[in-house]
Order: sequence, then C-alpha cells, then structure tokens
Amino acid sequence: MRSRLSLYGLTFSLPLLVWQLLFFVFPLVFLVALSFWTVKNFTMTPDFDTVNWVTMFSRGVFWQAYGTTFALATVAAALTSALAFPCAYAIAFKLSDTARRWAVFLMVIPFFTSYLVRVYSWQIFLSDAGIVNVMLGYVGLGPYGMLNTKGATLVGYLTLAFPLVVLLQLFSLAFIDRNLIEAAHNMRCGRMRTVFEVVIPSARVGLVIAALFAFILSFGDFVSPIYLGGGDPTTLSILITDTTKSGQQWPRAAVIALTMIATLLVVAFVAVRFAYAGRASKEVGK
Amino acid sequence: MERDTLVSFEGVVKRFGNFTAVQRMDFEIKKGEFLAIMGSSGCGKTTTLRMLAGLEAPTEGTIRLSGKPINHLPTWQRDTPMVWQSLALFPFLNVRENVEFALKMRGVGKAERRRRAEQWLDRMQISEFAERNIAQLSGGQRQRVALARSLVVEPEILLLDEPLSALDAALKVRMQAVLKTLQRETGITFVYVTHSQSEAFSMADRVVIMSRGVIEQIGTPQEIYRTPRTKFVADFLGSSNIFSGKVASVSEGAMEIDAPSGRMRLALPDTARRSRPVPGSTATVTVLDTRMGLSVARPADAVNVVPAKVIGEEFVGATATLYLETDHGQEIRVQMGHEALENLPVGIGQRLYAHWSPADGHLVAEV
Repeated sequence: MRSRLSLYGLTFSLPLLVWQLLFFVFPLVFLVALSFWTVKNFTMTPDFDTVNWVTMFSRGVFWQAYGTTFALATVAAALTSALAFPCAYAIAFKLSDTARRWAVFLMVIPFFTSYLVRVYSWQIFLSDAGIVNVMLGYVGLGPYGMLNTKGATLVGYLTLAFPLVVLLQLFSLAFIDRNLIEAAHNMRCGRMRTVFEVVIPSARVGLVIAALFAFILSFGDFVSPIYLGGGDPTTLSILITDTTKSGQQWPRAAVIALTMIATLLVVAFVAVRFAYAGRASKEVGK
Repeated sequence: MERDTLVSFEGVVKRFGNFTAVQRMDFEIKKGEFLAIMGSSGCGKTTTLRMLAGLEAPTEGTIRLSGKPINHLPTWQRDTPMVWQSLALFPFLNVRENVEFALKMRGVGKAERRRRAEQWLDRMQISEFAERNIAQLSGGQRQRVALARSLVVEPEILLLDEPLSALDAALKVRMQAVLKTLQRETGITFVYVTHSQSEAFSMADRVVIMSRGVIEQIGTPQEIYRTPRTKFVADFLGSSNIFSGKVASVSEGAMEIDAPSGRMRLALPDTARRSRPVPGSTATVTVLDTRMGLSVARPADAVNVVPAKVIGEEFVGATATLYLETDHGQEIRVQMGHEALENLPVGIGQRLYAHWSPADGHLVAEV
C-alpha cells in the first residue's frame, strides 16, 4: 500500500524532476566545468585550469561590481520591504473582504506587462526632458539628472520586486491570529506599538522571505542597471555580458555567474536561519 | 448603585448590522465575586465580555467600571485583562516574556518586571518552563501561562472567555479548582464566560444565564437550580421536570393547575403573591428530578401523581436517572440513589407512578 502510494506521487513529480535535472542541474554542472576551460585565440578549449578563477578574483573591477551589486540589492530589499509593509498591512487589516480581493488583483496586474516595458516607461518619466522634470519645471524646479543614476536603478528594482513583496507580506499577515493583536491591545499595547511588538514578529518568516525574494530579483537583474542606471556603476550582471562580448571569455563569465549563485545560496541560507531563529523545532501536542 | 459594585451594565445594547447580539442589558458585577455568564453559543455572552474588555463598543447604553463610564475607552486604556478561549499566547515569545509583556507595556523596569513575573510563574507552578517556547507546553501548562500573563498586573477584574474548553475532562476539573482557589486568594473579580453548566455552577458565586441576547436569570447556582425563573432556564439546565397547564384555582398559599397529565397542586410561597396567577391563565411548574418519587402502586396519600412507563435509565456514579413517559407523551426524569432503586422494578415498559409534594413544585415566570 505504502509503496503504491509513493509510486502514485512519483508519477506526478517525475516529469518535473526530469525537467529540473535536464534544464537546471545539468547546465549548472556544465557551468562549473566551463569555468575551468581556457580561451586561446578567441576559441574555447575544454581544460582543467583555475586561471579564470584566479584572474577574476584578483581584479579590482570584479570586486567593485560585486560590492555595488550586493549593496544595491540589499538597499532594494530593505527599501521594498519598508515601502511594501504599510501597503500589505492596510490590505490585510483595514480593507473589507471585497476590497482586499480587488487589491490583490491590482497587485497582480503589473505582472501582465513585461518588466522591460515597465522599465522603458520609467525612462520616459526620469529622463532629462522627461515627465517628472517637465512637471518640476512648472513649479520652477530642476531639471534634475535622474536617469542613469543608482536612484533610477533602485526605482527599477522596486518596479520589479514591489508587487511580489506586497503579495508575500500580505499572505503572511493574513495568517496572523487576530486574537494575538487583540490580546496585545488588551495588555495596554497601543496600535502602533502592536505592529512592532506583535504583527512583525508574528509575520517574521513571511517578511524575511519577501525581503529575500526582493534581494534575489535585484541581485541578478540586468535590465534596471543598464536601462535606468546607464550601466554605471557596473553590476555583476553587466559584467557578465561585457565579459562574454570581450574575446569570447565565456569561462570567466561562468566564474561570475557561479559566484553569484554561491552568494545567493549563502544569503538565502542565512535569511531562512534568521527567519526561523528562536522557533521551537518540535511541537508537543496541544 | 451599591457601594460594592465594580461593574454595571445600564441599558446596554449591541447590534452588528441587523443582528442584535445583546438587547438591553442591566446588571451589576460585585467587587470580588466570581461571576459566570452562561448560555449556548450565539446567546451574546462573549459579546458581553468583549464589551467589558473594550474590544467591542456598545451600540446603546453605558458600561461603568468603578462608577466611571468606560464606553469611550479603548481596550488599551482599561484595566480589564482577558484570557482568550484560544489563550492567544505569543508564539514568538517564551513563557517568561509572555508573562512580562503587560508589565513591559506599562513601562515597568527590567528588574522589577522579572521579579514580578517570577512571582506569578512560581504561583502558577510554571517556573521550570520559564525559558520554553509556547509550542513546547502542554494544554494545562499553557493555561497557567495565560493566567499568569493576565494576573501579573494585579488587576481588579479578570475576564475569562471559555478558557478551559480545549482541555480534557480530568484536566478541566483540576483547572477549575486552580481558578477557584486563585480567585478566592487574590480577591480579584472574575467574569467567566462558559457554555458549560458544570463549570459555571462549580466555580461561580453568581451565574448569569443568557439566551438570544437577553438575561434570563441572575442568581447563585443554588437559586437557579432550585428556582429557575423561566421555562427556558429550567429547560436549559435540564434537571427539572416541566409541566404546563391552565390555572384551575388559586387560594391562600396554594394553587391548582390542570395539565394534560392531570390536576396538580403546588404551594405558593409568599414571594409569589405579587405575581399571583389568575385562574384560566397558562402556568408552568417545574419539579426537580431529585424531588420526584416513584412507586409501583398508586400512593394513597400523595397529592400529585402521574402514571408513566419506564423508557430508559442511566447510571452515573452512585445515582441513577430514570426516564419515563406519561400517556400524554410527556417525559419525566427521576433521579435516585441505588438503594432506592433496588426496591423498584424498572424494566423498560414497566408502569410506575411518579409523585411529588406540592412544596416541591415551583412556578416559573411566563414570558
């Protein structure tokens, strides 16, 4: 009976397992192998040489890009979480059931249009003669150089991550036991204080996971730093394309990509550990 | 208002949209008493408690705490700690932090907080679990944490919303004793909402019985048990036989009623004089199942006798409950000890005579 059940489960999970094996694990292994290949006369040859790792890790430009990318993604995760929280909180606690359904629907709508299109439309807003500067001109301000700055890159990251972060936060807030909030109020904990003392600790796992998603999306994003940030300062994603274009250096690009993957793995691990810290691993009956 | 009144409800009404949860409530809670509010689900008992806690605002009327109206005060400005049915312990804090929470919100210093929490952890015998997570505790231990968390601020009143409903029967009885002792020792006024008669009657000094947003009766458990005010209360408690009929005659100290099962006589106490029924009106009489007698032959000297046949029996400990049915389909419950039962043939279908003294009949109010 037991083995039949697991076979039944396997039937459904097998196609996905095969898919993951073919299109994720295999390319990843190939990427690792590729990072040890060598390039001579613009031609790649299979090899086992650590030269790409040594070259990349000893370059200032690599570490500069790494620092920039990590810092930008961290700021994006923090900023998105901070801006999304009041929004998710209002949807979870202040709206009627019908209004909440509409709000969730509105949060999903941005996913209907391509991220690239949304970033291009930001260019129209932020460019030197763009909508924002024209508006500011009417009140005698500006023009300000907004496009091709880190700020513009962050606007792009927000565009990318905001709706998803709001939804993830919303789902974790929606599952908070309302009695906990009432109990806090009942023990002299005012509205604002309850948010910090009860709501955030209760939704902690979801909030951390949401921030993690914002970090992951921003860390690997290529569109915002190039089209809104103007490619300067260079992020790791831009560095990858530059490296592949300059002299067929695919193995070196593989080194960057693998470093990014390793970084995300570490960040994800630390975030999940932090999210569940202090939680009992085992539960004793009710 | 009396001097020892702590809380008073004056014409309190609570409506949710078109639904009236509580209709015109007038009652008082005395300082230091253990008051149980009891009724089936949807009767408005929890709404009443939540209005007192400041978690719901009354639609009409005034609630006073120590004489001052508190309608407009949000819950965080009242001193009305509550123990939730789900207990609502904070899962992200350990036991000690849960108990310290209310003190922290009041700005009590760290050392003082710890000292006072320690006292209550000790008193509730949960000191050894102080550093544990809530998820690692058993049901009874959680109960104690919830009580310690509410009582640590040493309030004047404690509100409890069916806090024992998640416990198994044996633990329930143990916690009832803990609660009762705690209330007596601290002198804190307890307002305890429950649907369980055994909980209410075993712990409370006074019981409020509610039905459909209305108070049916307030009194000591004894009073309510012996003299239910309305037919609803008698029905709800389930320990009385209820006979309805037309009033045949009323005389000094006694009256007679014509019920389908025959004419019955009951003594009218002086207190009933003012609301003395008039002949021809409908009247309802209750007789406690412990006050009913049974015999094989029609007793010659008994005034109230109803023939009935046995339809079932039930044994709980030393007492037995017999269920009988009259020729008119009325059910009669009789409770007796095993010795009394030994001399009676009580096989299913056996015909017996149920009888009771006029002094044991109780006239309830017609509403």
